[in-house]
Amino acid sequence: MKLPWLKESQLPQLILDSWWEEGDRKVLLDPFRQKISAGFQQVKLGERGGRRRDFNDGGVNTRMAMEHVKESKSGTSGEAIRLSANFFRILSRPQWVLYQYHVDFKPPMEARRLRSALLFQHEETLGSARSFDGALLFLPKRLQNKETLLHSETRMGEKVQITVTLTNELPPTSPVCIQFYNIIFRRILRMLDMQQIGRNYYNPNDPLNIPQHRLTIWPGYTTTILQYESAIMLCTDVSHKVLRSETVLDFMVNLRQKTGDQRFSEICGKELIGLIVLTKYNNKTYRIDDIAWDHTPMNTFTKADKEVSFKDYYKSQYSLDIRDNNQVLLISNVKKMGPAQGPPPGPAMLIPELCFLTGLTDKMRADYTIMKDLDKHTKLEPQQRESRLNRFVSSLHMNTDAQAELDKWGLSFDKELLKMTGRVLPGERIFQGSRSYEFNPMIAEWAKEMRGMPVISSPPIDKWFLFHTRRNANEAMSLMQTLGKVSAPLGIRMQKAYDDQLESLLRALQHNVTPQTQMVVVVLASNRKDKYDSIKKYLCVDCPTPSQCVVARTLSKPQALMTIATKIALQMACKVGGELWSVEIPLKQLMIVGIDCYHDISAGRRSIGALVASLNQSMSRWYSKCVLQHKGQEIMDGLKMALCALKDYMKFNNCLPSRIIVYRDGVGDGQLHSVVDYEVSQILDCIKSMGQDYMPKLTVVVVKKRISCRLFSLVTGKATNPPPGTVVDSVITRPEWYDFYIVSQHVRFGSVAPTHYNVVYDSSGLKPDHMQRLTYKLCHMYYNWQGIIRVPAPCQYAHKMAFLVGQSIHREPSMKLDDLLFYL
Amino acid sequence: MEPMFTPALHRQRHQFVIDFVLDLGCCECVLLKQLKFHREIELLVGVDIDGVQVKKKMHGLAPLSTDYLQPSYDQLRIELYQGSVTEKDARLRGFDLVTSIELIEHLTLADVELFSEVVFGYLTPEAVIVSTPNSDFNPFLPGLVGFRHRDHKFEWTRAEFKSWAMKVCLQYGYEVELTGVGQAPPGQQERVGFCSQIGVFHRLGGKERYNMFDEDAEDVFSYTLLYSIIYPSLHDNNIFRRVLVCEVVYWAEKLKRRWIAEETGERDDTDDLCQESHVDTEETQTACGAEMKTLVDQEEEGRELRVSVPLAVLWCCCPKVSVLSGSVSHLRLLLMDEPGVKLSQDGSAVLLNHQEQDLDDDDEEEHRADLEDSGYTEAPVPPQR
Repeated sequence: MKLPWLKESQLPQLILDSWWEEGDRKVLLDPFRQKISAGFQQVKLGERGGRRRDFNDGGVNTRMAMEHVKESKSGTSGEAIRLSANFFRILSRPQWVLYQYHVDFKPPMEARRLRSALLFQHEETLGSARSFDGALLFLPKRLQNKETLLHSETRMGEKVQITVTLTNELPPTSPVCIQFYNIIFRRILRMLDMQQIGRNYYNPNDPLNIPQHRLTIWPGYTTTILQYESAIMLCTDVSHKVLRSETVLDFMVNLRQKTGDQRFSEICGKELIGLIVLTKYNNKTYRIDDIAWDHTPMNTFTKADKEVSFKDYYKSQYSLDIRDNNQVLLISNVKKMGPAQGPPPGPAMLIPELCFLTGLTDKMRADYTIMKDLDKHTKLEPQQRESRLNRFVSSLHMNTDAQAELDKWGLSFDKELLKMTGRVLPGERIFQGSRSYEFNPMIAEWAKEMRGMPVISSPPIDKWFLFHTRRNANEAMSLMQTLGKVSAPLGIRMQKAYDDQLESLLRALQHNVTPQTQMVVVVLASNRKDKYDSIKKYLCVDCPTPSQCVVARTLSKPQALMTIATKIALQMACKVGGELWSVEIPLKQLMIVGIDCYHDISAGRRSIGALVASLNQSMSRWYSKCVLQHKGQEIMDGLKMALCALKDYMKFNNCLPSRIIVYRDGVGDGQLHSVVDYEVSQILDCIKSMGQDYMPKLTVVVVKKRISCRLFSLVTGKATNPPPGTVVDSVITRPEWYDFYIVSQHVRFGSVAPTHYNVVYDSSGLKPDHMQRLTYKLCHMYYNWQGIIRVPAPCQYAHKMAFLVGQSIHREPSMKLDDLLFYL
Repeated sequence: MEPMFTPALHRQRHQFVIDFVLDLGCCECVLLKQLKFHREIELLVGVDIDGVQVKKKMHGLAPLSTDYLQPSYDQLRIELYQGSVTEKDARLRGFDLVTSIELIEHLTLADVELFSEVVFGYLTPEAVIVSTPNSDFNPFLPGLVGFRHRDHKFEWTRAEFKSWAMKVCLQYGYEVELTGVGQAPPGQQERVGFCSQIGVFHRLGGKERYNMFDEDAEDVFSYTLLYSIIYPSLHDNNIFRRVLVCEVVYWAEKLKRRWIAEETGERDDTDDLCQESHVDTEETQTACGAEMKTLVDQEEEGRELRVSVPLAVLWCCCPKVSVLSGSVSHLRLLLMDEPGVKLSQDGSAVLLNHQEQDLDDDDEEEHRADLEDSGYTEAPVPPQR
């Protein structure tokens, strides 16, 4: 097996099956695999989800290519702040070394298990702490001789000579050792009686239930051991697994009752495909990729040359009775590799009755009450989170088996959370035309300050429509009046709209909206997604016009109406090309680009890539482009075209930007190498195509929101959220990267999550301090929120657009909308 | 080489002994791992002399994630011990069945005597299954010189096995049936027997149980407990209550929603799937639907509107609730001091808030939402939808 992502360091292959094969994961025989051939089990050993991916993006060493950050990547501005972070140092004995041996069998032995068995007959020589993958042996001790000869005997009495040769002494910081620590740590979590689901471990004995929705939440932990800037550390965070206490079959029966037979198959596919299930007979997770409508448990598969029905198989193998013989089966395309030669294994067929759903569907996520119930259980205040983490690590220290395992390898963990120093960047001033103001940096928003102050600019909105049903005439009327009231002080000129009460909305749109229409506002009777989708589809593709939807319910509260109307007025202004506010951006001829993607699971698993690029100095106008790509296509292939943003920039500024900074969001764990290897050069090519002598400075930053790093401020003596603007660029960063963390947003409940920025390419020579400050400034520029957000505005815009296209439109929006924030 | 036996011999051996309880020489717990799926078994115990081997694999015997999600009434405890089958341990007495798969040939003949005494004379299970290689079969194993495994101390012919079995029966009051797994090539079965020979022993003298207060009841505990795990079961009061409360709340909410929809005459069009079709639900709907109308009731408490769902309706609408509780009065008793459920004053109905909390009141809060914990990106949500 090759580990393609290991670029700089030539790592030895490390599968370490003896560490991974925790019983039930080593499935004896998979019933649902269409083809089973010899050797298949071995490949499965130690594998979860196919090729062992490196989710930590190790081996991508981008920093060394950037001269200006080789020495230091730390910024300077701002005030120091004492912080603690969810990291624990790993301590090893001084001079700790892991010894790597090569093991040779004479005569050669084929089966890996046999090789292990033969080698481990020599426990007295090797000791109990050992790890062997069939060729490489790792021991914490040095054998007396460089070459050790051992003699074993097979069950058949065959004599085998084993040569164990020392090949390497690995220091604690070597990548192999790091992998090693992680493997040992997983074993230890298992000793704490935690259940592994996916990559994390959860405690099933103390569940939280939300019975209304049949949800069960297991508390657990994410853990990673890595070489960080200052030391090797364990990064651990509280995690919650959402499970459902009903089987997929229960879910399907329920759904069929609700939808009726005709729409069932369509809706069922939409709801289920992409979800992860757990089975009743092993601890593996499967992703539902399709539904086999023509299969039932009575179908057969070939097992050891015999045809066996699924029903009989589960009865004989697990004594599980399948009650419903007519249920359709689920298909999961297991990404595992087949045996070295021979075809890859076929897809797994799963029985809905034996599968439990995990996680949330998009529909549940959109359900405000469910999310609120969930939050109640899963949101932890900084203090709660800190104490849970401390409890976790002390439970490690208390458990004798866990300690014994660590001792065996000569390792231990720090008992306390890591303490460190960060900086809080100075607050920004918000500019609106000639006026400017400051805001309370602790709550990171300026809705109050902005009240009654004109925005930078807004085209007059003269020709617009307000559609509503007869039932919602009152709400529509009060919206119209209030809009009139709030828009004047904001400097948004708004004529009275034409209102229309036609019952068929789409017909009303077709009837009234012309190319001259600036804006369409629709008061929706309910938040039915299909209605919303059809409006957006029509107004983004067929008849490109900025539009704004409001659910009538939102307008029914007189006391909230002013606030709501203000927000709607601001949104309307942005959508027609208005500029609301700006912050000071000292760099000239700068273009900021934001990229994000969205994976549309229902529509044939197409991905949507979105690119947003700034068009002016104040970062208040943006060019937006969305591309749909097919399975297997790289995001950048489509987005290359979208870089004709440069041409639009030319139109606005009469010149091309001399600096381009790309913020790339939506990079999954383990995908960094492809961004570095592929996307950066695509961007460079794209720039080159603008002309021979056009050579702008380019910076590419990978933005990550979903990280397990958490920061706590220690200012008040107890753990609190660090204030917006907190930057960390040492200790917990990675030595091989030019990276930093910023906490830019404020959260009122729970713990704030910092955002991780990783500069993977930089020919700008911009100082780290300026890079950090510019990034923070850009978090102020999202016009849909009068406050600071988690990511630079272009990333959030790109996200918003990709989401709209992926959820509702499913096609590329019209070019006519390119220069407008129509998706807000 | 074509496999000689299909399914593999060791699997056949295990399939033969399905349904049992104490496994001597459990080694890597392969048999136990299969047996744990047979939920009629309540106690599964494994013993092996090699504690390291057992420890390496024992966590594989832990419950699956899904065992926690829908606990059943079945109880299962699994225990693993390190110890020698030639020594006594009182904790292992009185089992229904003891298995010893390919174990005795690893013992010296003197130890086999001790083994017989411990298993048949001391543990006195209802039934014992012993399997061991049949050396009559060895000529069919290609390339085999000597014993099948270097650790084997002996390999018995069928006659030797039989004579040991008969002696044991005579001495300790058992009867034996000899059989085996691993068929010989066609025509040879009569002459050489099975590859692995098996003795199935049954204690004579009927089902009388081992008497805990035996005359020489000096309890010996020579084994070390390595692992013990109790599977989640509805017999556990905490789990039972949790499951019951979940079911009650789920159904009460469901009935409430249905009632509200009927009452307001509106279809709940926030849910685009909720177009009640009356296909298979017809029966249950009329069964408790009629009652619903009269029984689900609004109660006004101060300014708060509450919906009361009578326990009787719940009990008849949700089969799981009725199975769990047995009777309506018992259900009331169970829910009486359950913090997750609010009962009416006379305890005859579950009280629920009429309306979900108002959404727009904390619209602002939503914007700040940090939903990272549930894997949901935090984004300021516009008021438009």
